[in-house]
Amino acid sequence: MSSIPVNIEWLSDCSGCHVAIVDLHEKILTVLQAVNIQRCPVLTDIKGYPKAKLGLVSGAIRSEHDRHAAEEMRKSCDLIVAWGTCAVYGGIAGAGNVHSCEEIFDTVYRNNKTTCSTQCPSSEVSPLEPSVSPLDSVIPVDLYLPGCPPHPAVVFDALLGLVEGRPPRAATKESVCARCKRQMEKSEVDRIRKNSEGVPDPEQCFLSQGYLCMGSVTLDRCLSPCPLNGIPCSGCAGATMQILTEPNRDIRTEIAERMSRLTLIPKEQIVREIERTSKTHYSYTMATPMIGEKPTFLIRKWTEEEREDYEQDHND
Amino acid sequence: MVEIQVHEDGCRGCRMCVDICPTTVFEYDEEKRICVVRHQEDCIACLSCAYLCPSGALAHANFHTVKNFYRDLAFCEKMERFL
Repeated sequence: MSSIPVNIEWLSDCSGCHVAIVDLHEKILTVLQAVNIQRCPVLTDIKGYPKAKLGLVSGAIRSEHDRHAAEEMRKSCDLIVAWGTCAVYGGIAGAGNVHSCEEIFDTVYRNNKTTCSTQCPSSEVSPLEPSVSPLDSVIPVDLYLPGCPPHPAVVFDALLGLVEGRPPRAATKESVCARCKRQMEKSEVDRIRKNSEGVPDPEQCFLSQGYLCMGSVTLDRCLSPCPLNGIPCSGCAGATMQILTEPNRDIRTEIAERMSRLTLIPKEQIVREIERTSKTHYSYTMATPMIGEKPTFLIRKWTEEEREDYEQDHND
Repeated sequence: MVEIQVHEDGCRGCRMCVDICPTTVFEYDEEKRICVVRHQEDCIACLSCAYLCPSGALAHANFHTVKNFYRDLAFCEKMERFL
């Protein structure tokens, strides 16, 4: 088997997806025998974009540099994989879409209480795009590998499949709940609890206990480590296929539908609570048109209402 | 006849399928604490259970697919490309 040239690029993200490759442990030897990593900002010192068969692109399009790098990757690679949640849905950088670029500059540079500079950088830093968008808004993408980061088992299967020329295992429709071992049972709980409140029962489903867990609306690309270790799912691998395909289904309504059947909490109250904390619950997916352009997705209105409530409470 | 498959490891035993099924296809197995298909022949393939199942542990086969007019077609094209 001759080695396959691979380019890896890193746009606006945290580098966790690159670390997921290292998490392959000894399996990485199998992959390294088969591929020849050319451009890879964390590993090699290749500045250009050599021709490659496979291109892995992680990160969202936040700055003009991101757009340029994405376009260069498309030109140099035969097959482009949107790798990780940021590339697939925009990821947490997508929270930038709740605010204008001016508001972001004000908070980060001009009125930042912890720095002495009040100037916005005008050189050496790439200008921002007007909004954050996922990779496929800029270049055509051949395959999508969501996850924050995708579990090494999924990365390995995808890489090996591509190297061997066989189609990798396509996404299953199962959610994070499918691997969580907590018992989902009906309870008498009548109010939503904050994640910081009390100690959750390790055997019982978070929804049954009144905690907002996103497991039932999130693709299983992680093997469910968070709920298995006492932490409610934060939805990092993005929404399930039924939410992405159908405009009338949404993260908040799907969670509310299930939670209201398990507890005594009314559905409307759950929807309202998720809207109130929408920056948290939509943090990984709000930049993708599949979520952000749903007609009922009004995150600016929700966050504004929440801010007004907060100010009112704290002025009294 | 519609075939229903329950991914037993995926089932969290929430009984939502038992509650929502209009034709009482499912039963709750108290011993295994999961749902079981008891009257498959009664299934009308409304897929309410598959949509509601929190784990996505229910799969149906051998039914007439009806086109949803309200689907996000742009995403449906991408769906096959998700790894």
